[in-house]
Amino acid sequence: MVGRDTSQGRKMLSLLGLLAPPTVFLGVFFITPLAIMVIYSFLEPGLYGGVVWNFYDLNYGRILGWADTRYEKFDPVYLTIFLRSVRLALTTVLLSLVICYPAAFWISRMPQGRKNFFLFLITLPFFVSLVVRLFAWVLILRPTGFLNQALMEIGMIAEPLNLIFTDTAVVIGMTYVFIPFMFLPLYASIEKLDMSLVEASADLGATRLQTFRRIILPVTLPGIVGGSIIVFIPSLGNFIVPSVLGGAKVMMIGNLIEQQFLSARNWPFGSALGMMVMAAVLLLLMIYVRMMTREEEYSTAAKVKES
Amino acid sequence: MKIRKLLRSSILPIYGYFFFAFVYAPILLIVVFSFNSNPVNMMIWEDFTFDWYKTIFGFTSAATESALYLDSTDQLYAAVKNSLVVALVTTAVATVFGTALALAIARFRFRFKPFYRALMFMPMIMPDILLGIALLIFFVSVGIELSVFTIIIGHCTFLVSYVFIVVSARIADMDEALEEASADLGANSWVTFRRVTLPMIMPGVVGGALLAFIISMDDLVITYFIAGVDSQTLPVFIYGMLRRGIKPEINAIATIMLLFSLIIASVGLYMRARKA
Repeated sequence: MVGRDTSQGRKMLSLLGLLAPPTVFLGVFFITPLAIMVIYSFLEPGLYGGVVWNFYDLNYGRILGWADTRYEKFDPVYLTIFLRSVRLALTTVLLSLVICYPAAFWISRMPQGRKNFFLFLITLPFFVSLVVRLFAWVLILRPTGFLNQALMEIGMIAEPLNLIFTDTAVVIGMTYVFIPFMFLPLYASIEKLDMSLVEASADLGATRLQTFRRIILPVTLPGIVGGSIIVFIPSLGNFIVPSVLGGAKVMMIGNLIEQQFLSARNWPFGSALGMMVMAAVLLLLMIYVRMMTREEEYSTAAKVKES
Repeated sequence: MKIRKLLRSSILPIYGYFFFAFVYAPILLIVVFSFNSNPVNMMIWEDFTFDWYKTIFGFTSAATESALYLDSTDQLYAAVKNSLVVALVTTAVATVFGTALALAIARFRFRFKPFYRALMFMPMIMPDILLGIALLIFFVSVGIELSVFTIIIGHCTFLVSYVFIVVSARIADMDEALEEASADLGANSWVTFRRVTLPMIMPGVVGGALLAFIISMDDLVITYFIAGVDSQTLPVFIYGMLRRGIKPEINAIATIMLLFSLIIASVGLYMRARKA
C-alpha cells in the first residue's frame, strides 16, 4: 500500500515536471499576450500612441459601420480593404488548387521510387526562405525584370508592362509560396483514390466528366478542402507578399495592421483589425468542422444501411 | 485515333514538367544571375563574375569599387549571427518543451488534456501576424526592451507546437508494451525513460528540432514585430533591403541561403527516408 502511494506520488511528480515548465512559459508568453490583445481591441487609443483605459467599441465601429460620430462619418474603406483581402486570398486558394490538382494526380500514378523523388522535389521549396522566394518574383516581374526583358527581346512588346505592384502580382506571389501547403493534403487524398472505381465508372458508360464529378471529386474532396484552408489562413493575414509585390498600390488587411502598429501607432485599432482576421479564420474552421462531421455521419449512416 | 490517345496520355506528364518548371525556375534564376557582372540592370546578362560573393565576404573588387551597394557588411554579419543564435536557443527550448508536453499527453492521465491539445493547435490556425502584434503589445506594456531575447521568446511560443506535433506522431507509432516490459523487468521509470522511451522517440525529437530550426531561421512575420532596431535577423534584414531597393548582392546572399537551407532539408529528408 505504501509502495503504491510512493509510486503514485512519483508519477504525479514526473507529470508535474513535464507539464509545469512549458505551461508557465506558454501561459506567460502566449496566452497572456493574446488576452491583452483582445482587451486592447476594446480600449480607447491614446492621442500620441498608447492607450487610455476606457471601454471603447469604436475600434470595431470604424471597421464595421458605427464610427465616432463627433469627428468622422462611417467610411467603409477598412471594410473594403478587408473584403479585398478575402478576395485575394480566395483567388490564391483557387489558383493553387487548379495548379496543384493535375500535378498531384500525375505524381500519384508514378512507380514508388520516382514518386518519392518528386515528392521530395515538392517539399524542398518549403525549406527555402520565404523572402528569397518572393525576391525571385520581384526579379521576374518588375519593369526591368526578367519577363519584361525577355518579352522585349523577342519583340512581343515595345514598352515594359506594368506587372509588379498589381493584384495579380500579389496573387502569383502568394500562390507560389503556398504551393507546397496545397499540394501535400491534395496528394494525400488523391493517392487514396482507387483507380478501379474510375475504370468501373467508365465501363458502365459514364463520360469522363461524369466520372470526375461522381467518383474522383467526392473522394478527393477532403484534400481539396484541407489544402484550401491551409492556404487561405496565411493568405488572408499576409502582409509580406503584398508589401513586396504589391507595393503601396495593393493594400491587404495585414498591411493595414502593420501600419497601425509600426507607423500610425493606433494599437487598439490594429488589435481590432487583427481580431477581424481571427474571426474570419474561426468562422471558416467552424464551417469546415461542421462539414466534416456531417460527412462522417453520412458515411456511417450509409454503412449502417448497407449492413 | 492512335495520335489522339498518345496525346491524351502525354498531356499530364507535360503539364507535370511545366509545374516543376514553375516551382524551380524562379529559384534557379536567382542562382544564375548572382554570377552576372552587370551592376546597372542585374537581369541583363553581361559577364560571369564572383564579385557579388566577394562583396558579401568583405573583399572589394572592380565592380564594387565603382558602385558600392551594400551599406555595410557588418549589418549583414550581425543579422546572420542573430539568426543563428535565435535559431539555436529556440530549437533547444522548443524541443525540450514540445517533447515534454507530447510525453505528458501520451503517457499520463490528467484532466486538462483537451486544453493542451487546443493550445498546441492554436499556432497552426492563427495567422502569424496576430501572434506578432500580441507579443509586441505584451513586451512593450510589460516594459521588456525588444532584443534578441524577445525574438527567442516569440519563436519558442509557436515552435513548441511544431515539435509537439512531430514528436506526438512518433509516440503514436510506438509500442507501449516495450515500456511495460521494461517496468516489469524491474527498471524504474527514469531508467525506462532513458533506455527505452527516449531512444525510440529520438527520430521524432530530431525531426521536430530540425523543423523548429528551419522555421526559426526563416521566420519573418513574427520576428518583424518583435525585433529591436539592433537585433535584426537575416530574413528581416533582407526584407529591409528589398523594400529599400534591390541590389545585386541580394542575389548572392539569397544563393548562399538557398544552399544552406537545401543542405539542412536534404539531411532531414534523408534521415526520414532512412528511418522508414
